Amino acid sequence: MTAMKNPPLAPTSSEGPSVTRAAGRTSAKAAALRSRLSTGAIGAVVLVLLAALWEGYKALGQATGDRLLGLRFPVATDDLSMPGVGAILGALVEPARRGTSTILGVYLLEEASVTLREAAYGLVAGSLLGLALAIVFLHLPPVSRGLMPWLVASQTVPLVAIAPMVVIWGGKAGLPPWVAVTGIAAYLAFFPVTINALRGLKSPPKVQTEFMRSVAAGRRQLLFWLRLPAALPYLFAGLRLAATASVVGAIVGELSAGTGRGIGRVILTFAYYYSNGPEKLYAAVLVAAVTGIVFVQVLNLLERFALRNRHTR
Amino acid sequence: MPESPIIRIDGVTKQFNPGTDRSVTALADIDLTIAEGEFVSLLGPSGCGKSTLLRIMADLTPPTAGSVSLNGKSPATARRDRDYGMVFQQAGLFEWRSVQRNVELPLQVAGVAKQERRAKTAAMLDLVRLPEFARHFPWQLSGGMQQRVAIARALSADPKILFMDEPLGALDEMNREHLQGELLRIWSDTRTTVVFVTHSITEAVFLSSRIVVMSPRPGRIAASIDVDLPYPRTAETRTLPAFFDKITEVREALHGMTVAEDAA
Amino acid sequence: MTAHAGRGRPMLVAGGAWDTARRGLPVTVTALVILGAWQLVVRLFDVPSFILPAPTDIASALVDQLTTILSASRLTVSAVLLGLVSGSVAGILVALVVSRFHRISGPVLGVAVIVNCAPIVALAPIFNNWFGVTSLASKAGVAGVMVFFPVLVNTARGLLQVAPLHLELMESLAARPRQISLMLRLPNALPYLFNALKLGSTLAVIGVIVTEYFGGPSNALGVYIAQQASLPRFAEAWAGILVASLLGLAMFGVMSLLERLLMPWHESVHGGEA
Repeated sequence: MTAMKNPPLAPTSSEGPSVTRAAGRTSAKAAALRSRLSTGAIGAVVLVLLAALWEGYKALGQATGDRLLGLRFPVATDDLSMPGVGAILGALVEPARRGTSTILGVYLLEEASVTLREAAYGLVAGSLLGLALAIVFLHLPPVSRGLMPWLVASQTVPLVAIAPMVVIWGGKAGLPPWVAVTGIAAYLAFFPVTINALRGLKSPPKVQTEFMRSVAAGRRQLLFWLRLPAALPYLFAGLRLAATASVVGAIVGELSAGTGRGIGRVILTFAYYYSNGPEKLYAAVLVAAVTGIVFVQVLNLLERFALRNRHTR
Repeated sequence: MPESPIIRIDGVTKQFNPGTDRSVTALADIDLTIAEGEFVSLLGPSGCGKSTLLRIMADLTPPTAGSVSLNGKSPATARRDRDYGMVFQQAGLFEWRSVQRNVELPLQVAGVAKQERRAKTAAMLDLVRLPEFARHFPWQLSGGMQQRVAIARALSADPKILFMDEPLGALDEMNREHLQGELLRIWSDTRTTVVFVTHSITEAVFLSSRIVVMSPRPGRIAASIDVDLPYPRTAETRTLPAFFDKITEVREALHGMTVAEDAA
Repeated sequence: MTAHAGRGRPMLVAGGAWDTARRGLPVTVTALVILGAWQLVVRLFDVPSFILPAPTDIASALVDQLTTILSASRLTVSAVLLGLVSGSVAGILVALVVSRFHRISGPVLGVAVIVNCAPIVALAPIFNNWFGVTSLASKAGVAGVMVFFPVLVNTARGLLQVAPLHLELMESLAARPRQISLMLRLPNALPYLFNALKLGSTLAVIGVIVTEYFGGPSNALGVYIAQQASLPRFAEAWAGILVASLLGLAMFGVMSLLERLLMPWHESVHGGEA
């Protein structure tokens, strides 16, 4: 029943600004805390369940020779296809390569931080571009009508398809590979920001816009004192989507960027040398997943701080 | 008319969608003058154009024909000179600004220095009797308190005129009567000219020095009724026979025009 | 500024055609301006093809390579469709189950939202390993997982976020739970679902092409583009990119069309401003 208390603010938005904003009155605050705690608890339960499922499936496969009632298992259960949970976690604290003292977990975190930096730069650049576009669209509806369908189209262009080209452009321009990767991250990040920011800029009710007119506020004052603050909750909803997209963009960009670093590159390498240590690939994918999640959670904290004085909208 | 007119409306007509098959005449040839210091209510059924007339005075809607002068200027100039303040049916406070920062917004738009803004804001919050709520945020206030903040905000730039568009319409009866009393006190403290849109007869009678009764389709002024009940008016005023007589008079003016319209 | 665009749309029959034309014009003009400028800049400044081939070069490469590209597309398209369908069916089913149990729905959705923040494309090499590099299942699997989470979260939200007024109305009519689901919750969830499907249709294309990048049958679109780019035959690579984009657009268009057909009442269909 808890979810129903949130009014459907923007029913057509997939990530409306409603979800995380239950704070405010003490009862709502307590409810929010309780729901966050139970999310954490369920999250832990899900993790344990997944690990148990993994190990159970593996054990069953090992016992029956990957066959049950004459049917082959969809995924083989030997250590090469499915390294045990213990082996994956254990790999994190073992040396990354023979002959080095760096342990894999540290190495992966280092590479992930490279990816995270590319994603963060991409997010900033993409968000600024996205916000600027939204402001232009707000003030020039004909431009919006002409350009918007093409922006939608630009997002249906599979970015992997363009990634090699962007990397080539970056290379010919003499830029280090991470610049091209950042560009790809920004390309994926700007769109959700544009859409949500535009919706937010248009969100102030008539009373507020007419009040600003009644005090003879200029265009700039209307934008900075009314429309932008009003757009903030929407902007954060867009930024959350953009953050995920920028991490995906950074990883995909790294795949195409020949000599670069980053967790995407590590995954590619470990996939290539899979038979040497399958658990390493799983460990890398795990770190990549955690990286993406942490990135978005940081944004959530930022949002909670920025909107701390607001109740629900 | 006593004293000099601060608002003069000459032959104002407003048509929506002119020249199409959905054309509607909201106001037809309105003439009205309002003297400095008056409390004038525009009263009428919905659709009589009372809000539209107020919005034309405030330069929120352009008239189709006719002219308006506020304080001897066009509405647009008066708006830019901040000669009037406006209160709407919804408080429309900015939820990301504290009460204090909401009240100072008109001053901020006008480029007033921070120190002066703060002093003025404090005075305004005293006026609406909410000084201890300066640092609160809108969501922490009741509807009636929010509307008082909106009044403080409208008055913070010392306007000569206060336009109010059904400002108490969204409140419950108890809150409403309380705020009516507060509003009269604020009016007598500031000596601002008030133009007040309402569809409540008792509210209009209790508050106004003059009631302009409007009739719908197309919007016209049906009567102008002086309310000679003495100020200060209190809860006791509501029990006076003269109060009820005035209500009856206004009701008949409203009623008479519907009868006349049916006959026509 | 959008007052006359949004409000009071003429309800005449002729208005529809005129409206479509007026809406289509800026779009077409923008396309022509961009294409023209592109062609002009490439020709005038003699831009080398590794930076950007002229539109006409790309068009002729597309004509030359059409059969190769189309056969490569067939595999990619089937993986995308398989992933999209399996991911959304699974997402809808789980959403239906989860929304039945209010006690767990909140936390489960919370976990789903968090998992959705992870870069799921990273699963590509693992799925290639499990289901085989050349198999359709590995590509469709990644696409399916990418589609699953947004569909689950959005659909469940739509099922749960019913207006209290509507719920009370149904209860006052003594509607049974099944009737409430069918008459209220499902219709309420449709707009949420379609938003997820539109997002998912482009995600599925991305998922399949990335997985192909990690290894796939030689005649897949993602592999084709990467090969042509490394050869380097840029006009051909761009022709592949063009087809891939059209594929993404077509998916998006099909979803929008489905939305129109299934929800003729919704405001997004007749373009009303909320």
